[in-house]
Amino acid sequence: MSAVSPPGAANPRPRARPARYGVALVVAVVVVLVLIASSILDFVYVDTIPGRASLYGLLAVALVALGTYIGVRAFDRDAAQRRRHLIRASVLLGLALLLWLLMSDVFVFTESAGPWVASACALACLPTTAFGLFVVRRLDRNEKEPWRLVLVAAAWGAIVATSMVIWGESLWDAFAVRTLVPGLGLDASTAFSAGVLEELAKGVAVLLLFLVMRNEFDDVVDGIVYGAAVGLGFNFMESIAYMTNLYAVFAPEGSGTLAAGFQWYARQVLGLFFGHATYTALIGAGIGVARQLPNPRQKVIAIISGFVIAIAAHFSWDAWLAFFPIESSVFGLVEVHLRTLIMTGPFTFAVIALLVSGLRYEGQALVGQFRNEVREGTGAILPHEIAILTSPWQRLRQRMHALGRGGLVAYVSLASLQTAQLDLAMERWHRERQEIETPLEAEDALRRRIIALRQSAAL
Amino acid sequence: MRGDTYDPVRTLYRTLLVFAAVGILILGVGLFEFLYFEPPGQTTGATAHIVGVYQFDPVTQKTLGPDKRTFARNQQFAAVVDWSSVPNNVTVDARWYDSFQVVVAQVGPGTPAQLANKTVVPVAVPAGLKYNLPGQYIFVIERMSGGVPVEVLARRIVLVVRT
Repeated sequence: MSAVSPPGAANPRPRARPARYGVALVVAVVVVLVLIASSILDFVYVDTIPGRASLYGLLAVALVALGTYIGVRAFDRDAAQRRRHLIRASVLLGLALLLWLLMSDVFVFTESAGPWVASACALACLPTTAFGLFVVRRLDRNEKEPWRLVLVAAAWGAIVATSMVIWGESLWDAFAVRTLVPGLGLDASTAFSAGVLEELAKGVAVLLLFLVMRNEFDDVVDGIVYGAAVGLGFNFMESIAYMTNLYAVFAPEGSGTLAAGFQWYARQVLGLFFGHATYTALIGAGIGVARQLPNPRQKVIAIISGFVIAIAAHFSWDAWLAFFPIESSVFGLVEVHLRTLIMTGPFTFAVIALLVSGLRYEGQALVGQFRNEVREGTGAILPHEIAILTSPWQRLRQRMHALGRGGLVAYVSLASLQTAQLDLAMERWHRERQEIETPLEAEDALRRRIIALRQSAAL
Repeated sequence: MRGDTYDPVRTLYRTLLVFAAVGILILGVGLFEFLYFEPPGQTTGATAHIVGVYQFDPVTQKTLGPDKRTFARNQQFAAVVDWSSVPNNVTVDARWYDSFQVVVAQVGPGTPAQLANKTVVPVAVPAGLKYNLPGQYIFVIERMSGGVPVEVLARRIVLVVRT
């Protein structure tokens, strides 16, 4: 094995799989069973458009799940067979996408507003959601999450979570409107349904990432990033659904475009970070804190706490929106912004507070680990590199300098070196906190890789 | 990093617990709201009879055609109530909710005797619109208590289709 050969990951899995994989398997099986059961029940008893969509969408969801698993596995452990796995995953995800689009176009969006309006709405939401994902990923200034996992999280939010929610909420709604007194009580019931079902459906994605991709799930910051990504994906699909529906409702009145445009602004601009992104980020924060807690009981409490806050935040918006009516005047535009700020702002502020604390703590810990590594004289981190590695701007400046000097190859080499050095510090941090279950040899392999990368980067 | 040394993760954990406590409080208020508007133990056994939901002519103020469950957006429709089916000692009202759960027509509250000449309850097109909204419309006859509807005595759901 050459000195350049990298380990599978900064902290590859031990041969004996830890218990959390069993938990992940149970969660995944439960998700699949819930999807199958609720879709069949919905189809049989509700027989509406979501009912049909639920049954026909099952295959797409199964393909997404399988494709995602193979795709993540390709990067995670089977480096030698990566290409084959990636092709398989791409084919499965492509098929799933086609099936999903077919199903959603025919039974949901096309039914209400037609394929062209549905396409236009999707296109309008793409850049804003992409911007949201870009910003969210950059929040982790010390060690950015891999795009593949951020996109997997967003895809879960957009496809799997929305599918689960359509079915669950249809059943809840069908039951509630036939049994409850319409009005505020029914509104509260609907809000509980949305809060509980949607947050559970979204949160499962973050939970699975936490259980399966522990290498890429370091702390509260990562949890917030993944959670927000799931929320942005969910918000993407929900925005399209609302835009097409309201277009169809108001088009005969001559104001379909205005109604869809308002929905786009409310959900993709004003509510981009305030709504679902905030709610699921709260779940991610809970799971992220659990990642670093030593006590299993506290871990469970932290995870439940994240879900509780997220459900409460979502519930409060859906249930009490009616208490903040919007005037149909120019002042109404101000009111729309104020309403979002007042109702969701405190929860977003809570996420920001957790994020800032997490970033500060993570940054301090990494500096300490860089210094320890320098002190040990392994050569993986050089004394003058500490200041650069701890500052995202300095890292970028150094990379840009490399780009100007040696082109894209130099840029990529340096980026790989910086990433590996950050991985090493992160690995050391987790080992020091006894949060890691992998052998110490992985660190040595990483050090060898860093030294080889430094040589190839000619620094 | 264990033991008595300061661990920032514990601070994050405690912060999370505080947020969770706020969350529980919010959900508690929500539950209270739900129970206030859906109070348990309010079932009296009383029922009301909805004769049917019919197309409605706003000019003549009369219903026409058969009892239907589906209407087009440009069709006006109304529910017809048999108030004599409701016990005289209760206060009731009748309401139409549109697909956005907004009240678009209401008769009452009052006793069945007071409402006896208001047997036809037509749906009103929302202000500023030319047509009814598509989706599920719910018509309910509700028993009132303390100014709040507490029990549904009869319910009909009709679908307004887009085309």
